[in-house]
Amino acid sequence: MDLWIETARGPFFRVALTIMILGLGYRVAVVVLQIAAAWYRAADRRLPGADIAAATLGWLVPVRLLRSRPVYSAASFLFHVGVIVVPLFLLGHAALLAGILPRGWPTLASTLADGLTLACLAALVVLLVGRVAVKSARKLTRSQDVLILVVLLMTVLFGFLAAHPTQSPFDARAMLLFHILGGNLVLVLIPTTKIAHCVLCPFTQLLFQLGWHFPAETGRHVAVALAKEDEPL
Amino acid sequence: MAIECSYYLEPVDTTDLPRRFLDAFAAVLSHSSYAMVLDAACRVTTRCGRCTSTCPVYQASGDERDIPCMRSELLLKIYRRYFTPAGSIAARFGSAFTLDEAYINKLAEEVYRCTACRRCKLECPMGIDHGLITHLSRWVLSEVGIVPKALVVATREQLEGATHNTSAIPVAAMKDTCEFLEEDCADEHNLRISFPIDQEGAEYVFFPAVSDYLLEPDTLMGNAAVMTATGGSWTIGTGFFDGINYGLFYSDRMLDRIVSREAEEVRRLGAQKILIGECGHASRSAYYFARTFCGGKDAPEVVNFMEYTLKALQDGRLNLKRGAIEERVTYHDPCNISRAGWIIEQPREILKHICADFVEMTPNRRNNYCCGGGGGTVSIDEIREFRTMVGGATKAEQIRRTGAKYLVAPCANCKKQLREICEDHGLDDVSVVGLHDLVLKALIPPQHMIVGDSEAEDASLPEN
Repeated sequence: MDLWIETARGPFFRVALTIMILGLGYRVAVVVLQIAAAWYRAADRRLPGADIAAATLGWLVPVRLLRSRPVYSAASFLFHVGVIVVPLFLLGHAALLAGILPRGWPTLASTLADGLTLACLAALVVLLVGRVAVKSARKLTRSQDVLILVVLLMTVLFGFLAAHPTQSPFDARAMLLFHILGGNLVLVLIPTTKIAHCVLCPFTQLLFQLGWHFPAETGRHVAVALAKEDEPL
Repeated sequence: MAIECSYYLEPVDTTDLPRRFLDAFAAVLSHSSYAMVLDAACRVTTRCGRCTSTCPVYQASGDERDIPCMRSELLLKIYRRYFTPAGSIAARFGSAFTLDEAYINKLAEEVYRCTACRRCKLECPMGIDHGLITHLSRWVLSEVGIVPKALVVATREQLEGATHNTSAIPVAAMKDTCEFLEEDCADEHNLRISFPIDQEGAEYVFFPAVSDYLLEPDTLMGNAAVMTATGGSWTIGTGFFDGINYGLFYSDRMLDRIVSREAEEVRRLGAQKILIGECGHASRSAYYFARTFCGGKDAPEVVNFMEYTLKALQDGRLNLKRGAIEERVTYHDPCNISRAGWIIEQPREILKHICADFVEMTPNRRNNYCCGGGGGTVSIDEIREFRTMVGGATKAEQIRRTGAKYLVAPCANCKKQLREICEDHGLDDVSVVGLHDLVLKALIPPQHMIVGDSEAEDASLPEN
């Protein structure tokens, strides 16, 4: 068991983290280049910068978020806070990333970490139930939408149980192993699934605005490509 | 609510349709920035479903086809399978999705259930613009001949027909209409107005929705009254006088050609600016796309008539009687001019000045509800029941809740849709009017405009 844990926490983790960092770096590089190319080609480059900034930042703060579907929105917010803050600032995780993180990296007090984790777990359950119980969500849900939630739920749960062995009916080392394996899987899923929205969301409001700023010759070039220049309507 | 949304098409050549669809899609992707949009939509959609809480069509129909995310997925599925490396690789490992005629038919039906109002974009935390994806889907479909007949027949007449407008109004008839409106305004309102035609060197060339010449005499009289009262330098050009641009609804190629005709007419007359009448999509087509298709920074500036009127009111060049309209008035924000935040407060400033009892619909401004006839769907008569009973259901309730007598809608398409909504939902006491219809009622004319004022008439006569 100890060998499995060391392997999972050592080389497996390093490979998974590398995939995540390179994958996300690639995603960001691609989207930045796409935006730059589209902006360069655009005949009209006037963009509503204030609106784009307001939309990009506005969704991070749970005011606009809670105006519609409040239960789902509250669960979504608590889930995001937990799943971002705890992995980055938990004492145990900071120790694992000691060579990568800057010195003096802040860590969470254990009660706060526990509170955020439990809130995140509860939120994950609400999100999962919502995907099944709400008709429109059920229709929209793909297998990755459920699988990602399940993997996250298991990973967070196993991590909590590993950190609280006296409150867990399961073997703490087994919980730790499954937590680490689950975490490694999540790291690999981040750049390869919809979780990539975590690094793309600063760009998407701009991108979809820019989508309306066509190159000047779009219509004419498509007509030539389809041999329709002289074709009557 | 299972109401059909089927529209007439001109005969479609279905030979090799999937391949031709993919050829058209490839051509569009190669000569645009749409690939960036589709890539991003594929990657960031979390299927959160927030768009369902805001789409007026889905809220009325409860039909999964109307979930914006699901509709966009129809095109994204084609894109992933045929235009991404991952799609090609995945196809070799399992039963791949294959585009067929049935799928294209499904896409064709669903993209015209959408009004392209883009409320979904405001509600999406990623800002995915499902209206843009609908817009793209419709363009690709149009390149294989799948367009509602109503839209393409009108556009054909506008670009290639003898009359060069979507209502097939000959120039002589347009001139006669203007003359008739001048006479009618003098008879009914004691106001002298004029519609200058083909004046060279004017500041503005006027492009209303051409249907206004047939259907909205009060709006046009209000427009002319404002220009006459303020001494505005404007003209109507007989070379091209239709602001309607169905290209916005189904083809970027047509969008380009039509807005370019407007710019050409401005240049032909040695004028400076495009002045769009009360029409949402005509305003948006010109304002947001003139620069793209008509010479960048050299493109004529585009002004919406309500901007002109408000500025004149604020500058003191236009006098309107405060509280002149005593009945309750409410305002409908046309999506094409309000969703992006362009025309929001301008009409409200005017209405608050001239109305004694102005009430807002809720929600309003950028968060307004679509009339239900957006995206060109209002021009498709055969889907009226779908438009008014599904797409327009929320709007009907908004109107009812205001208790208003006048519903101001500064958009020719919205007016048609809202009148049909009022008929179909029993809102018989509501009059749908343009903003300038009410401005005409509230106008305090300068002396020279008053008919029967002999001093003013003498003063206005040229000296011998």
